[in-house]
Parts: sequence; C-alpha cells; structure tokens
Amino acid sequence: MNTKITEPIKNIFSAQKAPIAMLLIFITMLFFKTPFYTSYNLIDLVNSNSTLLIVAMGFTVVLVAGGVDLSVGGVMTVSGIIAIKLINSGVSIPVAVLVSILFGAAIGAINGYLTVYQNTEPFIITLGMGVLLTGVAQELTTARPISGENPAFQNLANYKLFGVVPALVLVMIVTVIVVVWLLRSTSFGRNCYAIGGDYEVAKYSGINVLSTKTLTFVISGMTAAIAGVMLSSWVNSGNSTYGDQTALYIASAVVVGGTSFAGGIGGAFKSLLGVMFIGVLSNAFNMLQIDSYIQQMLLGLFIVGIIWLDCYARKVKTETV
Amino acid sequence: MDKKITTQSIIAFARNNLIILGIFVLAIITTFVEPNFLTVENLQNIMRQFGPLIMLSLGMTFIIMGGFIDLSVGGIISLVAVVTVSLIDSIGQVAALIVGIVIGLICGLLNSFLIIKGGAFKQSEALFLTYGMSVVFTAVALIYTGAAPVFLTYSKTDYSIFTAIGEGFVGPVSVSFIIFFVCLLILYIIESKTHIGRSICLTGGNMTAARLAGIPTEKTIVFIYAVSGIMAAIGAVVLASRVTIASPIMGKGYETQAILAVVVGGTALLGGKGSVLRTVIGTLLIIMMSNCLNLLGVTTYIQYMLRGAILILAIWLDNRKQYSEGN
Repeated sequence: MNTKITEPIKNIFSAQKAPIAMLLIFITMLFFKTPFYTSYNLIDLVNSNSTLLIVAMGFTVVLVAGGVDLSVGGVMTVSGIIAIKLINSGVSIPVAVLVSILFGAAIGAINGYLTVYQNTEPFIITLGMGVLLTGVAQELTTARPISGENPAFQNLANYKLFGVVPALVLVMIVTVIVVVWLLRSTSFGRNCYAIGGDYEVAKYSGINVLSTKTLTFVISGMTAAIAGVMLSSWVNSGNSTYGDQTALYIASAVVVGGTSFAGGIGGAFKSLLGVMFIGVLSNAFNMLQIDSYIQQMLLGLFIVGIIWLDCYARKVKTETV
Repeated sequence: MDKKITTQSIIAFARNNLIILGIFVLAIITTFVEPNFLTVENLQNIMRQFGPLIMLSLGMTFIIMGGFIDLSVGGIISLVAVVTVSLIDSIGQVAALIVGIVIGLICGLLNSFLIIKGGAFKQSEALFLTYGMSVVFTAVALIYTGAAPVFLTYSKTDYSIFTAIGEGFVGPVSVSFIIFFVCLLILYIIESKTHIGRSICLTGGNMTAARLAGIPTEKTIVFIYAVSGIMAAIGAVVLASRVTIASPIMGKGYETQAILAVVVGGTALLGGKGSVLRTVIGTLLIIMMSNCLNLLGVTTYIQYMLRGAILILAIWLDNRKQYSEGN
C-alpha cells in the first residue's frame, strides 16, 4: 500500500526526466557541427516519430487504466497491410482506411475481453496476440514487402499543408489532442485513472470497470491501426516486419515519459515527451554518425537504465515511507 | 464439497490431458496423411530439433516458477553463439565452449543484479528490463562480428565436439538429446530434492511472504537467472553446432517460443507452480506441431499464427482453471 502514497512524489520525479534529458541533448548538439538544427531535420524528426506517437497515445490510455497492450506492433503492421491490399484491389480509400481501423478496434476488443472479462495477465496475452498478428501479416504478404499501386493513397500521409507540414504530423497532432482531452476532460478519462489507481475501489465506487477497461484496449487497437495506415501511406508499402519492436520500444518511451506500469499515473502529453525524447536521442546519434549497432546497444542500455530507475525510485520510496 | 472437487478435478484432468491429447491427435493425423512422419529419419529429426528450444525452456521454467520472466535469452543465444564459434581458432574448442557457458552465466547474473538492485520484482518490470538487456546482448553480438555470420566449418583447428553435438549419435540417440537428458536430470533433482527448488516455488507464490519466512529470495532470483543464462548458452552451442553457422541475430524469436513451451506445458505464469517435466511435454508439443505442420505443407507463416493462438489459449485455459480453483 505504501507505493500508493509515494506515487505522487515519484510522479513528479519521473515526469521531469524526459524534458530535462531532451534539453540536454539539444544543448549538447549546439557544440557539434551537424545538420541537426536545420528546419528539414527538425520537421523530419517530428514526421518520422509521428506513427510511433500515434501508437503511444492509445498505449498510454491502456497503461493508465492498469493494463498493457503489447500487440500494438502487430495491429499496426496488419492494418497497414490490409489498407494497402484493399486499395490495390480497387476498394475506395476511405472504406479501406475504415476497415483497417475497425480491424484494430476488433483486435482491441478481443484483447479486452480476454484480459478484462477473463481476468488474464494482459502483457502475456497481448504478446501472444502480437505473435499471432505477425503470422497474419506474413501470410498476407508472404513475408515480402508489398507496395501500393494507387498514388492517391500516398497523399494521405505525404500531403504537405502550406507546403511545409506533412499530413502525417497533422493526424498525429489531432490524435494527441483527442487522447489528451479524453484522459483529462471526460468521465471516461477519470474512470481510467481510478481503475488504474485501485481496481477494487473503482469497482465499488460504481464505475463500470469491465467496459471502461475493455474500451481502453479498443482505443489502443484503433490508434495502432491509424498509425499502421499512416505508416503504409507514408512509405507506400506494407511489410510484415514493420511492427517487430514497436510495442517494447513504445513501452520504454512511455515509461521514460513518466507513465507508470503501476497504473493510474501518467498522461498522454508525458508519453509524447517520452517518445520524442528517444526520437531526438536516436536522431542526434545519427547526426553524430555513430555506428548503428553501437546505437542499438546504447538504446538498449538506455531502456534498461530508464526502467531500472523507474523501479529503483519506487523501491527507495517504499523503503523510506 | 464433493461437487467442487469433481469439477475441479475434471477441469484439471481435461487440461492436463489437453496437451497430450493435442500431440496424439496431431501425430495420428500426420501419420495418416503423411507416411514420412513415422520414419526413423523424421523421429531423429524431431529429436535434433528438440535441442536448442528445450534447453531454453528448461531454464525458463525456473524463471517462470519463480514468478519472473526472461526475454533476454534470445540475445544471450546470439551473443554466446558468435563468441563461441569465433573463438575456436584462437583458444581451442574446449576453452571456447567454457567461455561461451561463462558468458551465458554472466549475462544471467547481470539480469538478476539489475532486477534485485532495481527492485523490479514484478513480472512486467522484469519483462521490460530483460527485453532491454536482450537488445544490448544482440547489439554486442552484432558489433563483435560486424553483423556478419561466423561459419563453424571455416574453423582451421579441430571442432569435433561441435560436430558431435550437432550431428553425432550414440546408438539411436542423438548427442544433443543426451545433453538435454543430463540437464533435465540435474534441474529435476534441484527442483524436487533440494531446498533451492522449494525456495523458487515459494518466491513465485508470494515473494513478500517468502522473504518474511526466511527464504533467501534474492539468492533465489540470482540462481534462476544464472540457470536461465547457462541453459541459453548451452542452447546456443547446440543450435550453432546443428546449423554450423553462428549469426548475431540467430536467437531472435526463441524467447517467445520458450515462454510458450513452458506455459503450454502447464507451469503457471503467475509463478509458484510448475515443473521441468511439464516443460518437456510442452516443448515436445511445440516441436511436434511444427514438424507435423511442415509435413502437412502448412506455411511457416500460419504456424507463426498458430503459435500465438496457442499461447493465448493456453494462458486463458490456465487462468480459468485457477479461477475455478479459487472459487
């Protein structure tokens, strides 16, 4: 029970991590002669992280309500492939996009049913769902990348508003605003925090815990599907390997941002900072021309470090209280 | 009271037999459809495929029994395989093998160190920590070889031990099967006859209670991760010997297969219950399934799908069982 008391303290501590670290990177990059501070790079930085940000939004909702959804990578991949395949076979773009998003929602509903109504451990069920969906993606594409044949589909993500801002970024911003609004200003959002904070208390307070928590998984499935469609449109192809590392990458980014695995703590804006931080970090690595495998190692060490600190902060607070 | 026991025992009976039933049905179907199934060659093939996965799964059993999870075994396999194979020329095959096992042990100790010092005693926290370590181990393997595979057959000095592990047979039994059997025996004795086995179960059942009752929970965590690291290293050697190539990404995907094998075997994911013997059955099902489906001409992609579906199903059934026991 002590963890519950220490949660706000820990929250303040961990909420500052991502922005401070990001600021440090921005300052460090001032000392190097790289194309880091060009408008092209900065727009590309936001653009290339947009799909991940969209996924992270739904992921955060699930996490806040005390669940976890590791199938987002699989959902993202399969829905992107579905969109491309449907459009290639002549289905109109809005219908194809809608079908893809509904597919994401359906997977979310299945995850929700299994974890909430059947009371199973969400991370292993959704991990299994991820494996299953990777298989589906491979079967749909015979494990080869497929490309879109309708040039109009590319415009969905690549259209540039005022010639500068890509549509992908706009979709990301809209998603972020919607999720921030959902979590902050609706009764659904407050219920999510209540459920994540203490499931039993929320239940006895009259919150419909089952449907609310299931809905979080549906939202996560939908955002993952939107991200998948936008990714497919952005690169105009579908590939069964796109979502391989997504779930665990996003999980780490979201924790870096300050949303806790314990549930009930965090927010969409924090996750945005977390994802952007890792994005900025790897961008800076690229600019400094660090070998990609060393980058991978540093990223791994980094994920370990951040999650370790998250656990350690909780441990220390528990012991001192 | 009577009724409760009967429903409980029926569910337990059905669930325990579901797996054996699954193997049986699959084997019968395959025998009818594809006469190649029951040939000595194919059975030896199954025995050889058994190798790497069962080693990992045995290690993973202890981890899951202790209420933890280890996603880093895939990374450990990659790292150990490339280091071991590349060292054969410079330090000889026996020393290379020892170095490989020691690397596995160190990786496992590193995991447990992080978990204990960080207080990551929840399964989900351990999952993400070990996932991060898996990324690190794989990256180290990639940096070590420059992303190129290492070929066992290019070794200039003697690598007969590896050949024996990969292809050798003692009578009708493959060498890798003997290694498996020895490992199983040791782990089974540890599990059932020593206080360490009890400690693992108690830690997995309720860690706080175990600690308060005087169980050395931290030592137990170190032990299970060390075992998992060593078993992953042995699995890596067996795998590299069989395919005669060590690639820095060869371990990818093995961690989910190992978890699948353990859970399908009937070791509870929540910890506290389970046995390495169950894992053997679980692994057998996974290997038989892929062998049968291969013979039946099902694509690897659909097999992948089935693997995910079975994982979900196994956990769901397990959960229902525990739920009905709880009532």
